[in-house]
Amino acid sequence: MATEPMTNPVEDTVAKVDGYVAVGEDLEFQRRWWRFERVVWTVFVLILVCDLLGLLGRGYLAKAQSKTSDQSVTMDYERIERTNTPSIITVNFGPGAIHGGEVRLFVSGSVVKELGAQRVVPQPKTSEIGDGGVTYTFEANRLPATVDIALSPSLPGIHHFTLGVPGSEMVQAKVTVLP
Amino acid sequence: MITILYAVAGYFFLLLTVRVLARRPGAQLTMFEFVLIFLMGGVIIAATAANDRSLTNCTCAVIAVGLVHRMVAMLKARYPKLGAVVDGVPLVLRERGEWKEDVMRKMRMAPEDVAAAGRAKGIRSIDQIDYAILERSGEISTIRTEEK
Amino acid sequence: MVVATVLRAVFGYCFLILMVRVVGRRPGAQLTPFEFVLVFYLGGLTLTGVVADEISLTNAITQIVTIALCHYTLTWLRTRSPRIARLLDGTPLILLERGRWRTDTLSGMKVQDDDVMASARVQGVKSLEEIDTAVLERNGEISILKAQK
Repeated sequence: MATEPMTNPVEDTVAKVDGYVAVGEDLEFQRRWWRFERVVWTVFVLILVCDLLGLLGRGYLAKAQSKTSDQSVTMDYERIERTNTPSIITVNFGPGAIHGGEVRLFVSGSVVKELGAQRVVPQPKTSEIGDGGVTYTFEANRLPATVDIALSPSLPGIHHFTLGVPGSEMVQAKVTVLP
Repeated sequence: MITILYAVAGYFFLLLTVRVLARRPGAQLTMFEFVLIFLMGGVIIAATAANDRSLTNCTCAVIAVGLVHRMVAMLKARYPKLGAVVDGVPLVLRERGEWKEDVMRKMRMAPEDVAAAGRAKGIRSIDQIDYAILERSGEISTIRTEEK
Repeated sequence: MVVATVLRAVFGYCFLILMVRVVGRRPGAQLTPFEFVLVFYLGGLTLTGVVADEISLTNAITQIVTIALCHYTLTWLRTRSPRIARLLDGTPLILLERGRWRTDTLSGMKVQDDDVMASARVQGVKSLEEIDTAVLERNGEISILKAQK
């Protein structure tokens, strides 16, 4: 048995202009939409300005420097990072850091894990694990001496890390990783 | 930061490239033009994002492109001259039943293209086309000769 | 991180919807070649961020299914609620009515008189005086109603 198709009478449901052309214009809604559009574009411009300044990473305001009070370590890093985007932590050693032709550098485990340390330049002579991090040893005799740690953060979020010469003061830093 | 500049440069570069590739008759894109567009777009995308494939970066690039496009649209509305540069101008191909030979030749149009546009509107022969205009969208509009 | 990729896909979809909506429709139902490139450019840039480094097939399928689900939900919502439909598609707007331009609509939608005239010519209308009503439709087309003589 075939059932009848469901039907509904055709009514004048689309709004008319001057009662003669069915347009269904909703000017009130459009005015509100224009206001909304303006807000959206303002927000967009603000985002771009933040990005240009570096508030979203990779710019002037993202760069940060932190040093220990005894000047054994000065570190340049970016306080705002982006996921999977390469960046570099530069560690400058001060005069108090070199002992017997070597310099030792401790980095906390979060540098390797959350911040995704890719490689350490130059190649450390030895690396040793312990104290919740890695201690690298480099051969060094004269200043200035610099070590670069290439990062590629894997997890968005706020991460803390510590870095320094074992036995002396450590530098602590907070890095915000954006998605 | 640099991505925004790349995105803005990419926008204008694409605009220029697409604009100088002459407008083909018929509003529909051909298969070849599709491939071309994908190729050009893809290359620019790869260069714009470069090695920073974070969501933050790509979002900023998209916003930058959208903003530039909107600004161009706003400027076009204010300065009709700029509109002519960006979009082109409508061109008369046939005036009072006479072909404009130089325009036809420069736009690489054949009378058949106009005849096809006329047929789509039920005009049977070219003689019945009074005016034919190549619109900015690439469409050809035809106006029928009024019957006397 | 499956959750992260799914969230990225949802974000990418919603962001593009918003972007396309606020960038604004230009008159003309057909996209011009440049608009094609633009759409591709916007889509591709978002795509780069959404996929990022997870170029496995599993991830591709997860994200495609996510985006398809988002789209399905949105189209379902659109049929259910006229308010959402209006939000997504906008409303038809009158540009010209009985010989008078709606100036704020024209400037708001960035439509010029020659855009209206271009649509009119396609319908075989020869001058602006012959137009009774011009409506900017939701798909970007300008429909022209000829004045009755």
